[in-house]
Amino acid sequence: MTEVRFYGDPPPGIDDRTLPGRLIVIEGTDGVGRSTQVALLKEWLEDRGYAVLDTGLVRSELAGPGIKRAKQGHTLDPITLNLFYATDFWDRMERQIIPALRAGMVALVDRYVFSLIARAAVRGVPADWMEELYGFALVPDAVMYLDIDVEHLLPRVLSKRGFDYWESGLDYLREADVYRSFVRYQTDLLAEFLRLAERHSFTVIDARRNISETFGAVRQEVERALHGMEVEPVPSLARTLDAAQGADAIPGDGSATSTGASSASPAT
Amino acid sequence: MIEAGDGTESLPGRLFIVEGIDGSGKSTQLDLLHKWLTSLGYLVVFTEWNSSPIVKGTTRRGKKLRLLSPMSFSLIHAADFANRVHAQILPALRSGAIVLADRYVYTAFARDAVRGVSREWIRRVYSFAVLPSLAFYFDVPLDEAIRRIMDGRPTLKYYEAGLDLELADDPAESFRRYQGLIQKEYEAMVAEYGLVRMNATENLIRQQQQMRRLVEPHLEGVRRVEGGNVSDALTETSLRGRYLVDRTGGATP
Repeated sequence: MTEVRFYGDPPPGIDDRTLPGRLIVIEGTDGVGRSTQVALLKEWLEDRGYAVLDTGLVRSELAGPGIKRAKQGHTLDPITLNLFYATDFWDRMERQIIPALRAGMVALVDRYVFSLIARAAVRGVPADWMEELYGFALVPDAVMYLDIDVEHLLPRVLSKRGFDYWESGLDYLREADVYRSFVRYQTDLLAEFLRLAERHSFTVIDARRNISETFGAVRQEVERALHGMEVEPVPSLARTLDAAQGADAIPGDGSATSTGASSASPAT
Repeated sequence: MIEAGDGTESLPGRLFIVEGIDGSGKSTQLDLLHKWLTSLGYLVVFTEWNSSPIVKGTTRRGKKLRLLSPMSFSLIHAADFANRVHAQILPALRSGAIVLADRYVYTAFARDAVRGVSREWIRRVYSFAVLPSLAFYFDVPLDEAIRRIMDGRPTLKYYEAGLDLELADDPAESFRRYQGLIQKEYEAMVAEYGLVRMNATENLIRQQQQMRRLVEPHLEGVRRVEGGNVSDALTETSLRGRYLVDRTGGATP
């Protein structure tokens, strides 16, 4: 990130004009495969010598536990829930993300404000209120949106945890069964995401493809975002082992490491 | 009739709120008003700052661990307020009750502005709030307020004293400067929001009389609790109320 920009009024306490790190965001609906892509990307970046912070929703020290508790038992109106999420978001912004960017790290964020805005919008919270609320968010170097349709999403959700209460819109939709609720909710949510993608110029990545094809597109976008960034010349473990192996310093089995290294090199 | 924050709904209840720096005596006056309204048979719901059962635990955690920055301080208090608006204030106003609020959005506008949060932004964040029927501002000289607080409560907490603002190392001195800055914000809001300025150095009875005089015209058409009270019924029927458990703390014959 060369220049520090916010979506709205700059928040107090952040005086930086420039930050040497990069802020990279992955957005997409639940079950689309975000966490898999984040895991692959983190390893890929570390193998290239980047120091990586990864963070995501509800992981703040301040508000994470409170949100989890609130979502268990109570019916919470969407305004309160969003202000709670905003607290969690800002706490991570201020105490995880910005310090990492100052230190020249790559901050990898699994769901930024856009998931929150989309989820609130389908629940009837005015979009302009949400966008104003999140005016304190830093404009990222890259926002990748993992795009999918309900048809392709269904088997992924079912093969993992099944239908989640909130991710099926059961908190506000009055559908007779969870399947119908899920389809209706996700259809609305995905449409909302695409509206945001257009409005904020996300990089839309077709996530209907398999993991490796999707990751190819993710890497391409990340490479663009990393352009001009200085990397500490810290060789990765895999490369160190490779080099050592080449010099015959480490005897024995090196197949696992060389496989790791070759899969980590960028596809052409 | 007042209106919901989004302007889409007319609410039959009334909303009276009090504001002022710590030690202005606003809570005492609101309590007296509460008793008076109840005695007149009105249905009264009381709500105070920072009391949402769902959110206040997080605020407490943030204060205890000193995790709160100006922005997270602002956001968590907004969450607390939003929860009270949706779970307490709006349902009460829809039912035609009188809601009394000890501190309202103006507390956030003042405290957050002092901490450097954008005044425009914080007003937009709180745009879901219901506009009060009457908002009282208890105006007290800083020295007098400080004297009242320091007399009763010598140890000031970190955020209460505004120590996070780094105005002074000494908690008492920090508190004084913090309250002074908040007072300036309130002063600007008196005109902006038409707050009713109360002279908080006046005699308590006279302040209360003035409050009631101002509240009274707003009470026209507000629903009262009907059905009479228990002691009237007992007198009329010549019964003793032997089985009325919560009447005199027991139904002993």
